[in-house]
Amino acid sequence: MKALYCLWGRLPACGRLLIGLNRGLATRRRFATWPILAALIMTAAYSQSTYKAPRTPDGKPDLQGIWQTRNTAAAALETHGASGGIAAGLGVVVDPPGGKIPYKPEAAQQRKKNFESRETADPLGKCFLPGVPRANYLPFPFQIFQTPKYVLMAYEYAHSTRTIPLDGSPHLDKIDFWMGDSRGRWEGETLVVDVVDLHDETWFDLSGDFHSDELKLVERYTRTGPETLQYEVTIEDPKVFTKPWKISMPLYLHTEKNAQLYEYECHIYLEEAARKRK
Amino acid sequence: MRSLVCVAILLLVGLGAKAQGGRGRGQAGPPPGPVLRLPDGKPDIQGIWDSKTFAPAYDIEDHPEQFGIPGGKGVIIDPTDGKIPYQPWADKRRKELLEHHMFEDPEAHCTLAGVPRQMYAPFGFQIFQPPGYIVIFFEAFHAFRIIPMDGRPHAPEQVKMFSGDSRGHWEGDTLVVDVTNQNDKTWFDMAGNFHSDEIHVIERLTPLNSNTIRYEATIEDPKVYTRPWKIQFEFGKNTQPGYQLMEFACVEGERDLQHYVESEGGPKK
Repeated sequence: MKALYCLWGRLPACGRLLIGLNRGLATRRRFATWPILAALIMTAAYSQSTYKAPRTPDGKPDLQGIWQTRNTAAAALETHGASGGIAAGLGVVVDPPGGKIPYKPEAAQQRKKNFESRETADPLGKCFLPGVPRANYLPFPFQIFQTPKYVLMAYEYAHSTRTIPLDGSPHLDKIDFWMGDSRGRWEGETLVVDVVDLHDETWFDLSGDFHSDELKLVERYTRTGPETLQYEVTIEDPKVFTKPWKISMPLYLHTEKNAQLYEYECHIYLEEAARKRK
Repeated sequence: MRSLVCVAILLLVGLGAKAQGGRGRGQAGPPPGPVLRLPDGKPDIQGIWDSKTFAPAYDIEDHPEQFGIPGGKGVIIDPTDGKIPYQPWADKRRKELLEHHMFEDPEAHCTLAGVPRQMYAPFGFQIFQPPGYIVIFFEAFHAFRIIPMDGRPHAPEQVKMFSGDSRGHWEGDTLVVDVTNQNDKTWFDMAGNFHSDEIHVIERLTPLNSNTIRYEATIEDPKVYTRPWKIQFEFGKNTQPGYQLMEFACVEGERDLQHYVESEGGPKK
């Protein structure tokens, strides 16, 4: 269990491990004092980007490659100060402008409870599938592939996958999935993915930010440069939030020679640790 | 044995459900046509496929029926006796695993099955051919295999993985995949057949027509076997319109390990 907490930077002694896991991408930023305004300006700049992505053989923007964030969204989506093993970080909530998740009052209470019990209550602590969008900003890389009919996402963390059909087929109706049901389409330079059928057992981050089974996501993936992919998500859940809200962050391309996904079989390490304790 | 039977029954129920769902395994839909081609002339093997035999999921060698486990034909074509050419110590260990350590079956612990076991697991898999890669997503254990086709070297030797490290190339119409870097934690089946971390697998996937792929794998492991050996069977394409792979959660709902008895290495009651 200790190693797992290290992973999420829960123990002060684990900083080195966290950096190691970030595979050299861990340019750990301590921007706690930056105003939220900075995030908004950055987002505005990205959305006005005129960068034209390279094309796939069928003429679509090419998003393929191994991507990873450099932020601390896995710890908390909102701006947060440093704590034991957790670097302070600029929030990724860009709407509403205050950078705060618009919880309903009773949901805010639940979030507080989650935060207090996060070391045992976080589903990721049990090595469960991370859900969407959390999978995209864990401190592990993921790889995007494209064919004319599909966009694929393969995640190093717990070998999660997403298969995103582009053929306009409808969502499956009322089936719960850990990773949801994704359907994609192209809007100019942007891949837009609708995600529904997510159940209520995943969290957004290790600070206890949560949702219900009425969660609906609209993800937007836009290349903003040769080595950056802007990832924006509109999050809607009338059971938990007073209004839709939005996160946005850049993903960075792994450019190391022969970069590839390895494996992180989370639950095996958990089981090994449990056996040692016996 | 009880839990082996449990797992076997689960497998049977799963397979039965799939069969009732009209799972084609290549038999439904239009008759097969010639091998499909991509614009670059390479075979187009994209689609959802199933092994045509699940017997090796129970035991890769020929095996008689037992309670909960249908008798089945193994898939070993070399040596011709259909048996894994174990070194004497390894043959002993395999028997020991089968009789007393079914708790250790990696699949019971929701691990990735490794290669080749993943290829004859039930529930199907989907092959994609994005530029520069063959990508396979499996329903079982939401496993995936990423097979670079650009001739890059294997991952460094010290990186061991459940699914290993795959590199592919075409030899005519045959996709040849070289698999190294596997750890020693996976088995071949539910019958204790095993390998070490020196296992080296060379797979050959040859499309025979639009709906059939012949799968062949040569398995080498100088620590465990006296010589390389070979398995062969076929994949059938799932031609059911609109069929898609679903999500397979294992760790998330695991309740079975507690049922293993002590004599199989299970938890003390």
